Amino acid sequence: MGIVSRAVRNISRRKMRALLVIIALGFALSIMISIPAGVLANQKAANTVSSNLSNVISQTGASINQTLTQIDCSLAPSFSGFGFTPRNSTSGGGYTLGQYGGGGTSGGSGFTPGQFGGGTVGGYFGGGAFSGGRASPMNETLYSDINSNISGIAAVEPILQASEGNNVTRNLDFNGYSRTITTLDVEYTIEGVPLTSYFVGNYPILPTNITAGSNLQVGVSGDVLLSENNSAYFGAGVGDAVTILGQSFTVVGIYSPSSVSDTQTLYMSLSEAQALTNNTGYITSLTVFAQNSGDVSAVASAISALHPELTVTTAQSRESALSTEESTYTTELANANASDSQTNSTAIEEIVVVVLATSLIVLFVMLYTVKERTKEIGTLKAIGFSNSTVMSQFMLEGVLLSMIAGVVGIAIGSIAAPTIASLLLPSVGAGSRTAGAVVVSGTTRFGGLAVATLTPELVLLGFGVAILLGTLGSLYPAWRAAKIRPAEAMRYE
Amino acid sequence: MSKSVLQSAKPVPQAVPQSGKPVLQLENLSKTYTLGKRDVPALSNLNLIVNAGEFVAIMGPSGSGKTTLLNVIGCIDKPTKGKVLLDGIDASALPENQLYKIRRDKMGFVFQTFNLLPYLNARENVELPMEGRGKSKSEQKKRASELLAMVGLSGREEHRPQRLSAGEQQRVAIARALANSPAIILADEPTGNLDSENKQGIIKLLANLNLTQGTTIIMVTHDSQAARNTERMLLLKDGKIVKEMQGLHLNKKNQTCPHCGSRIQINDDKCPACKKPIYASDELFSS
Repeated sequence: MGIVSRAVRNISRRKMRALLVIIALGFALSIMISIPAGVLANQKAANTVSSNLSNVISQTGASINQTLTQIDCSLAPSFSGFGFTPRNSTSGGGYTLGQYGGGGTSGGSGFTPGQFGGGTVGGYFGGGAFSGGRASPMNETLYSDINSNISGIAAVEPILQASEGNNVTRNLDFNGYSRTITTLDVEYTIEGVPLTSYFVGNYPILPTNITAGSNLQVGVSGDVLLSENNSAYFGAGVGDAVTILGQSFTVVGIYSPSSVSDTQTLYMSLSEAQALTNNTGYITSLTVFAQNSGDVSAVASAISALHPELTVTTAQSRESALSTEESTYTTELANANASDSQTNSTAIEEIVVVVLATSLIVLFVMLYTVKERTKEIGTLKAIGFSNSTVMSQFMLEGVLLSMIAGVVGIAIGSIAAPTIASLLLPSVGAGSRTAGAVVVSGTTRFGGLAVATLTPELVLLGFGVAILLGTLGSLYPAWRAAKIRPAEAMRYE
Repeated sequence: MSKSVLQSAKPVPQAVPQSGKPVLQLENLSKTYTLGKRDVPALSNLNLIVNAGEFVAIMGPSGSGKTTLLNVIGCIDKPTKGKVLLDGIDASALPENQLYKIRRDKMGFVFQTFNLLPYLNARENVELPMEGRGKSKSEQKKRASELLAMVGLSGREEHRPQRLSAGEQQRVAIARALANSPAIILADEPTGNLDSENKQGIIKLLANLNLTQGTTIIMVTHDSQAARNTERMLLLKDGKIVKEMQGLHLNKKNQTCPHCGSRIQINDDKCPACKKPIYASDELFSS
């Protein structure tokens, strides 16, 4: 009979009590390991959210700078659907907002692969299928006309954009209004851009995210840059030949689109695009860049005065929308960080409470046990047990009890950690609380998901803490036991 | 019960202290308790020598200091003054962290309430004092079984206390007290919680152990019948030994009337021949 087996027997001797204590301790310990799990998950989510938000903020900032000097010019859209309908460019959708906010801000793009624009109603009916769809081609001479007659212009970039696809008739139903419309199911969009060193070098007319091969070079002909979707559609890779509208081109590179609006856009030189789509001498839009942002409205008015038939859009309105977005994201980021730190302080408070509760449970249970067994302890000492043996006997009992509770706690935690963490921490999981809502809305939009999971480190930590608290909680009761006088054995009961 | 002692096939090897040598010496022993601001003397200038192999009963009224004396002898309590020599060792000079060894190796306690650990079986209870003395588990087990056989509990080794009668529990306690072959068995009212039949059995067992094993036994008791079956009776009053009488050792032959010398039987209160009370010492047993 060693002290270990005596400890085991003493625990199993009062089964109901042991069970209650183990369950209580187990719950406390499961909370103790679930909270750090929740904190870690929350931190991970918050990190993802804030890094995504930071990216968005800096991208938005870059967009603001780029668009400040930009003016888009196009003819009013017409509804005549011929073969290669140039795209609406009132939105200037190329490299701006479709990415973050959806069509609402940018007006949506007519024939983007999203089919009906950016997904908001504004984009849908406003800039999208009805009005934005078919911008009329305009004479190329407008380019030199504007360039030479209006001052304050840094550059004028002529662009031809044409989509290939099939006309589809659909019934649209929106808020009780029903209409039948014909739209184009786009297979690919050709964008012809001037491959001159001036534009290629100074303005972002070509995609920058090349995933295979190389970008289009200045002055080349017969080359085409495909998007990843184009590459899949044509079944062609770098160096392969593709046939576009009956003519053969060589794929020099493949790019990864930076926004949803150009996933099906392929790039080639302007002159080849014009020839290919029977638009020689025509373009679909002009992008004018003012020399500085202060000149933009003056330049835009001058263009409108010179060519009243053009629809002229400046970047001012877009800029303010972008600024609003930027400040929204900045606020979200601050909120996310604030809720993260609030979670941490809550977690610390809760862990302190649980640690205290656990130690107190062990302390009182062991004190009660010692008191209840005073006579037994007196007997043991009278028949020759040393103080240290008695002390280690009771220490062992307390530690053993907490170890069993530790296992139970880990078992509970491994099942219930996400629930416990979301109940006890402000922003893990469902995010029903105000502080959490920001992070959670952030998680859906910016890709962080807070689910508390028990790592092996946390399991080990929980077990270690159980042993530590068991030891701490039994220290005083065991010391009390060791101090019991052997004469207590003589006591009547 | 005595049969099992006498006919035990394998006598338990014991370091029997040489008969006649003092195993316990109390010199000018005093013990004073402080209650509030008042000093209450429990023992005052008490001298006593107990020789190896003696069977001593300590009697006396409540508050006479019986329990204090037993506690001091058993190294459970420290004397205020005086010496306690156990087997030649001055226990009163030892620090607490040494005393447990004296209790373990030199003493065997038998309690009125048996004090067995309820979650251990009979054998495990007997093994308890052997723990920490460097014996192997199997040796402990063997020794415990032999001791249980000696007190007449063969076949009951695996029974827990709740499945044993009161008398059987006290036998287990006696076996436990013998575990480390102590110099002295200290019994505190060992028959106090037993019915008359079991009382008799326990007294017989103790007397037999004393006779056959030479175990020194000091027993505190209220029970005159139990006391007179020892060989030496001490009456304690106000912390002093006021009277000493010879007892009738139950198992010793030739028990005779102290008044007329005719033979008497065990449990006779009066001499069958002279009709005098065998112990005319009513004051001895009145408490």
